Amino acid sequence: MISSHMRLFGAVVALLLGASGPASAQQLELKLMAPAAPGGGWDQTARSMQQALVAAGVARSVQVTNVPGAGGSVGIAQFVNGAKGDGSQMMVNGFVMVGALAMNKSPVTLDQVTPIARLTEETQVIVVPASSPIKTAQDLATALKADIAKVTFAGGSAGGVDHVMAALFAGTVGADAKRINYIPFSGGGESLAAILGGKVTAGISGLSEYEGQIKAGKLRALGVTSAQRLPGVDIPTFKEQGIELVLANWRSVVAPPGITPEQRKVLSDAVEMMVKSDAWKDILKQKGWDDAYLGGDAFADFLKKEITRVTEVLKSVGLVKS
Amino acid sequence: MDTFDALAHGMAVAMQPMNLLYALIGVFLGTAVGVLPGIGPALTVALLLPVTYKLDPGGSLIMFAGIYYGGMYGGSTTAILINTPGESASMATALEGNKMAKAGRGGPALATSAIGSFVAGTIATIGLAFLAPWLVDFAVRFGPEDYFALMCVAFVTVSATFGDSPVRGLTSLFIGLTLGLVGIDKLTGQARLAFGIPELLDGVEVTTLAVGLFAVGEALYVASRRHHAEEKLEPVRGSLWMTREDWRRSWKPWLRGTLFGFPIGALPAGGAEIPTFLSYSTERRLTKHPEEFGKGAIEGVAGPEAANNASAAGTLVPLLTLGLPTSATAAMMLAGFQQYGLNPGPLLFAERPDLVWGLIASLFIANGMLLVLNLPLVGLWVRLLAIPQAWLYAGILVFATMGTIAAKPSVVELSMLAAFGVMGFLMRRFDFPIAPVVIGLILGPIAESQLRRALAISLGDPMVLLQSPMSATLLGVALIALLAPFVLRGLGRFKANED
Amino acid sequence: MTPDTASDNLARTPARRVDRAGIAIAAALAVLAAVLVWDASKLPATTMYGMGPEAMPIVIAVGLVVLAVGNLIDALRGKLPPRESMDPKPVWLIIGGLALLIAIIGLGGGFILATSALFVTTSAAFGRRAVLADTAIALVISTLIYLAFDKLLTLSLPTGPLERLL
Repeated sequence: MISSHMRLFGAVVALLLGASGPASAQQLELKLMAPAAPGGGWDQTARSMQQALVAAGVARSVQVTNVPGAGGSVGIAQFVNGAKGDGSQMMVNGFVMVGALAMNKSPVTLDQVTPIARLTEETQVIVVPASSPIKTAQDLATALKADIAKVTFAGGSAGGVDHVMAALFAGTVGADAKRINYIPFSGGGESLAAILGGKVTAGISGLSEYEGQIKAGKLRALGVTSAQRLPGVDIPTFKEQGIELVLANWRSVVAPPGITPEQRKVLSDAVEMMVKSDAWKDILKQKGWDDAYLGGDAFADFLKKEITRVTEVLKSVGLVKS
Repeated sequence: MDTFDALAHGMAVAMQPMNLLYALIGVFLGTAVGVLPGIGPALTVALLLPVTYKLDPGGSLIMFAGIYYGGMYGGSTTAILINTPGESASMATALEGNKMAKAGRGGPALATSAIGSFVAGTIATIGLAFLAPWLVDFAVRFGPEDYFALMCVAFVTVSATFGDSPVRGLTSLFIGLTLGLVGIDKLTGQARLAFGIPELLDGVEVTTLAVGLFAVGEALYVASRRHHAEEKLEPVRGSLWMTREDWRRSWKPWLRGTLFGFPIGALPAGGAEIPTFLSYSTERRLTKHPEEFGKGAIEGVAGPEAANNASAAGTLVPLLTLGLPTSATAAMMLAGFQQYGLNPGPLLFAERPDLVWGLIASLFIANGMLLVLNLPLVGLWVRLLAIPQAWLYAGILVFATMGTIAAKPSVVELSMLAAFGVMGFLMRRFDFPIAPVVIGLILGPIAESQLRRALAISLGDPMVLLQSPMSATLLGVALIALLAPFVLRGLGRFKANED
Repeated sequence: MTPDTASDNLARTPARRVDRAGIAIAAALAVLAAVLVWDASKLPATTMYGMGPEAMPIVIAVGLVVLAVGNLIDALRGKLPPRESMDPKPVWLIIGGLALLIAIIGLGGGFILATSALFVTTSAAFGRRAVLADTAIALVISTLIYLAFDKLLTLSLPTGPLERLL
C-alpha cells in the first residue's frame, strides 16, 4: 500500500523534475554527513533521510558518512573545509552543536555553512520525583529564588540543551542564572536514577525520554517548553504558567559554504520534497519525532537567533569566555 | 505462572526452524564483524542493523540477538588468540586467555569462555525474569557517591594485575589515569590535555589504547627479540577440549562472575568492565593454583567472560523496566525494539509481555546458537596460531589497525594507536605491567565525575560519602580488601610461627 | 624518547649499578606531572559547587611525582629487572609500516594499499625476505577483506584508487 503511494509519488517527482532541466533529482547523488558515531540521534536522522530521500525518489543514491567527535566539532570542520562549494553534500546538525562549537572554541562556526532546513524538534521537560514537595513550575521558581545552590538539576552534557534550559529557566524566573547548580550526567539512565532516587531536586530532558515515567506516576512533570500544549500531552507549558520559556531541541540539515544559489535551490527542493513524502512521515511516526520543517531564509534567521541565544546563555554560566 | 507461560510462548516462536536459521546467520555475521578489535558488540549491532530491516519483525529481532551475542564472542576470541581485546570488557579475558593460547591451551580457553558466557547468560536471563522489578529499585537508589565508592572497590582490585613491583604497577596505573584526563571534562565542558587537537576532545578511546598496548606493543616486542630464539607456538598441547580438571576449575568462576556481572550491569552506570576486573581479581585471590596466574589460569578466563555476559543481561533490567538504555549496547537493543514500533518503559512488561519475552527468548536461543556454531570452530580458530610467525604478526597488525580504520578513520586516531603500540613495547621492555594502564583509563574518569557529582549535590561536603549507607559499606569493603592481604600475611606468619 | 639508547648502552655493560633507562623513565614521569599542572593551571575556574576540573589533574600529578621518585630510587639502586639485548631494526621496520599506513590513509590512498604496506613491512620485520611474494599475498588478502566488509556487510572503509576499481 505504502509502496504504491511511493511509486506514484516518485513518478510525479520525476515528471516535475524532468521538466525542470538537467539537474533532475532522479540523477541526484548525495553525500550526507552525520557528525557523530553510528547509533546516536544525528546518525539516525541522517540514515532516516537516506531512506526517505531514496524511497521518495528524490535522489538516486545517498551515502551516509560518520565523522564522530566533540559534539560535531570534528565533523563540521571537515565538512566546511572539505566540501566547500560541493552541491552534492549535506550535513545533519542540531541544537547541541551550537553550544559544542562555542565551548570547544572551534575555528569553524555554523555561520559558515549554508542553511537548508530544520527537520525535527523535540520538546523539553522539567521533572521532579513524585514525592517532591515541588508541585508546579512556580514552586520551583520560588525554591530557586530562595537558595539557588540548593536546587540541583540533573541533565545531559555540559553546555547541551538541558544545561542551556536550566540557565534560561533560572534567568527567566528572576534567579541568578550564573549560580545554577547543574549536574551533567552521561546518559538518560544515570540522570533518571539520580532523579528517582531523590539525589537531585529536578531533572531536565527531552519529553520522550521521561514520558513513560511520567505516565507511570513516578515522575511529576512541572512543564514543557513548547509554545502551545501538545496534542496528547497532558502537561502544562511553562508559558501558560507565566514563565516565558520556549525552547526545542531541533535537528536540521545544512549544506557546505560557497555553493551557488542554484545548487542551494536543488538541495532545498530535494529536502522539501522528502519532508512531504509518506516515507518521511512514516519514519517520524515510527521514531516519535515531531515534524518541525522550516526551510529557506526562515531557517537561516532561526539559526542565527539560536546561535545568539545559546552563546549568551553559555557566557552567562561561564562555560564560554566572552 | 504468567512469566513461565510468556517465556514458553516466546521460546516456541524463537524455535521455529526459519528463526533458528536467522539466529545462526546473525551469530555468524556478528562474530565476523565482532572479531575486529575496536568494534564492540554495540557498534557491531549498529553496523549490521540494516541487514535485519529486510526481515519480518520476529526474524529481525532474533537475528539481532544473534548479531549481538556473536559480536560479544568475537571480541573474546581475538583477546584469547592474538592478545587483542576487541572491546574493553574482554581485556581481563586477554590477560590469562592469551597466555593459555600461547601454551597450547587456546582450545579450553575458547571453550570455557563460550560455555561460561552461555551459563552466565542463562542465569542472568532467569534473574532478569524474576528479579528485574526488585533489582531496578536497588539500581535507582545508587547515587553518585555510591558509584564513587564502587570505583574505590574496583581500584583496590587493580593491584591483582600489578605483577611483582608495586612501584611499577602504580606507575602504569597513573599513566592510565593521566590518559583518562584527556578530552572534554564531563562536568564543566572544559578541554583538558587536548592541546587544541579536536580529535582529542572526545578523550582516549579505550579500545585504541588496549589494541595499541596489547597487540601492536606485543608485535614490536616479539620482533625485537626474534634474534634470541624464535618463539614457537604450538596451537594444541594436550587436549583441544576442556578436561575434567578444566570443568572443575571453571564452574565456580562462572557462577561468581555471574554474581558480579548481573547486578553491576543492572546499575545505570555500572558497565561491563568493572565486574570483569572484580571477577578477575577475585579468582586470582581464591584460586588453588596461584602460581598459574599470569601464565594462563583457566579461572582467569572463565570468571571475567561470565561476568561480561551477565552484565549484558543486566543492562536489560533498566531498559525493560524503566525504558532506559544505560549502555551503547542497550541503546542498540532499544533500536531493536523500535523496529516493532514500540518504546520500552515502565509499562512495557504489563502492556506487551509477548514482545518482552520474545526478545528474552531470542537472546536465549542466540546464546545457545553461539555455542553450537563456535564450539566446533574452536579447533579451526586455534589452528590460526600455526600460521608462520611473520604472517601471523603481519595479519594481527592489519587486523588491529583495521578495527580503528573502520570505527574512526582519522590520522590522529591511527597515530595514537601507533604511539600506544610503541608505549606498549617500551613498557614490556622495561617490565611495566600493561593492564593497569587500561584500567586506569576506564576507572579514572568514572571515579572523578561521580565524586564531583556527589560533591556538587552536597555543595562540597565530603561527608556525603559516609552518609549514604551503600557508599559507606562499599568504602568499608574497599578498605578491607586493601588491608586484608597484609593482615592475612601477618596471620600466616603468626600461624607459621606457632606450628 | 631516550630510554632506547640508554638501554643499548646498558645491554653492553649490564653490570653497571645505576640504571640510566630507569632515570630517563623517572624524568619522563616528572615531565608528565609538570604538563598536567601546566594544563590544569590554564583551566578557568567555573565550578562553584564541589570540585573543579583542575583538582583531579593535580592529584594525579602529585602521584606521578611520588612515582618518579620511586622509580628514581629503583634506578639508582640498579633494582630494575634485567633486560635482554634487543634488535632495533625490526622495531623500526614495523613503526615505519605503521607510519606508511597512516600516511596512505591520510592522503586518501585507500584501505587496500595502506594495510598491504603494513603487512609487507611487518612480515619483513619478522625475517621474511620474499617481498614481492608477500606484496602479492597482502594485496589479495586486503582486497578480499575489503570486499567482504565493504560490499557484503556495508561497513565503510576508506577508499582510494584501488577500491574505486572494484
